[in-house]
Amino acid sequence: MSDYTTGIKELDDAIGGIRKGSNIMLIGPPMSGKEILLNHIMYYGAAKNENAIITVATRESATHILEWFQANNLSLPMSRIGIVDCVSKTMGVTTVENANIKIASSPVDLTGIGVKISQFLEEFFMKKNNQKIQLHINSLSTILMYSNIQTVFRFLHVFTGRIKAAGALGIYVIESGMHDEQAIATLKQLFDGMIEIKSENDKNLIRIIGVSPKPTPWFEYEIEGPNLKISRGN
Amino acid sequence: MVETGIPKLDDFLGGGIPKGKSLVYYSQPGVEGEIFGLQTVYGTLKKGGTCVFVVSSTMPDIIKEQFKEFGWDMNSFKNKLFFVDSYNPLIGAHSDEKYVVSNPDNIEYFNKTITDIIKELPPSTIVFGSLSTIMDLCGEKETIEAVRNWNKLAMLYNHVMVYNFTAWPYSVQTLDLIKDKLFNSVITIGGIAERVIFGQYFGILKSDWAEISKKSMLFRVLRPGGIRIFIPKILVTGPFDAGKSTFVHALSTRAISVDRLGTTIAMDHGHLDYKGFSADIFGTPGQERFDPIIKLLSGESMGVFLVVDSTNPSDFVRAKHMLDITKSYGLPYVIIANKQDLPGALKPEEIREQFHLPEDVPVVAVVAKDKKGVYEAFEVLIDRITGGI
Repeated sequence: MSDYTTGIKELDDAIGGIRKGSNIMLIGPPMSGKEILLNHIMYYGAAKNENAIITVATRESATHILEWFQANNLSLPMSRIGIVDCVSKTMGVTTVENANIKIASSPVDLTGIGVKISQFLEEFFMKKNNQKIQLHINSLSTILMYSNIQTVFRFLHVFTGRIKAAGALGIYVIESGMHDEQAIATLKQLFDGMIEIKSENDKNLIRIIGVSPKPTPWFEYEIEGPNLKISRGN
Repeated sequence: MVETGIPKLDDFLGGGIPKGKSLVYYSQPGVEGEIFGLQTVYGTLKKGGTCVFVVSSTMPDIIKEQFKEFGWDMNSFKNKLFFVDSYNPLIGAHSDEKYVVSNPDNIEYFNKTITDIIKELPPSTIVFGSLSTIMDLCGEKETIEAVRNWNKLAMLYNHVMVYNFTAWPYSVQTLDLIKDKLFNSVITIGGIAERVIFGQYFGILKSDWAEISKKSMLFRVLRPGGIRIFIPKILVTGPFDAGKSTFVHALSTRAISVDRLGTTIAMDHGHLDYKGFSADIFGTPGQERFDPIIKLLSGESMGVFLVVDSTNPSDFVRAKHMLDITKSYGLPYVIIANKQDLPGALKPEEIREQFHLPEDVPVVAVVAKDKKGVYEAFEVLIDRITGGI
């Protein structure tokens, strides 16, 4: 019985689902479709599996993210969505907090971001009695632009622990090529597995490590509009 | 003494923070600890003091907005509130504030600005918005050394130093130093957790000027309003027709009742926001068939009001029975001698005699329908609840 799934059939078949309490790194080069993949996991989790999704948004505002779903005719069950918007305040955009959006004052303010994550966790877990929760951070790379690796490590140490304690699923986005090997190695200690994306000979490839006993093979994929489609397995 | 501005905390600290002393709000990650520093800024300014706020993790403008969200008008304090901006230089942006730390990842630059401020300004309250951010940027050892010096210097110049600190997993030595040695007083702020954090509390870990008890208070953050002591459940019970629902409505800022044919059949539920307290109030029905509800609600309450009709001594037996149900939970309680305005109403002392109550059990005279005595009764119960934790 799988606790959490990606919603992409070939990947889910290969890994058999992700155990609750897992923290997964999603790593790949810029513009390789990580955002689309994450949106897909979010939509599938909330709409099909009744998961609650908490997204920490450091690259796009909450409104922008919600507009993407609307534009692609994907109806998100809003009672299960929580977005921590770390962008709007820094751009001077007045956004009001509501049931689905909490505002953090900047990507530097890890204390503030932590408070908002905790508040959403409490709302979904205790008040709405939903114990299937996913936390997405998009992206750790933006946060690392403002704070050094030790600082981010300490922050993640606390919240990966909270994800484990709550039996939730954590997915954390990292841009490959932006950080040195040492930094990635330091962070890897906190994760149970990796969704890895790479480009080779004009092909987009994806695989998952650490979730099933053996790494999955590399799957070739294509981005078609709002969808990530596996085109060929190996 | 400089007041912290946090309800009950100043009482527990013997009035506030003496000049020349330092205090740290030591907060677990995920709880709203940084608001304590903000509320102390407001508290200082309200009492006519001068305040310096060191901003590290966001723009000073955003802090000013936060003050507004709490309903605190900072415009009237323009010449008594100064910001030290160590955020805008971090992101390479320009700053309009009076003090700017041009290299926020170098403790020497912080040192210069803070020591200048300590020497220049009259005795003030200097509040650090996020000591942990400074530590992240400048290094644990370097920051601790600097804080040690600032606190020493502040003693000479009679400033009060207040720090917000998020207890991320720094080294054990660092955390121990902060909890034990570096500050005159440590207020811990934590979360009540059962898989996730669902309640927040604060308590005094250390204070070298006041006799402290290891009391913890639940709190809530209201916007507007700020930090409020949170009393999750106060029970209002008593015999049929004693005036319980009237009392709940009289005390509450807003309340609802479920009744039929003039009597309560489920529960009255009210919410009160009064003098730094935020309480949820639950009134039970008085008829005997509802006694299981009293048992259920008592188990989770922090205090009980037992409402009796002062003109109806024959009901006191029933009242005593209901009191015993709630007393078995060891809860603080206050007897409400209601309907004092009616002819034949027994005075509180007479009721005390009838109940055979010891002297230290409070009996308060109330006319619930006119809201007379209700707030006095609330303050008495709060004293018992917060004194007893």
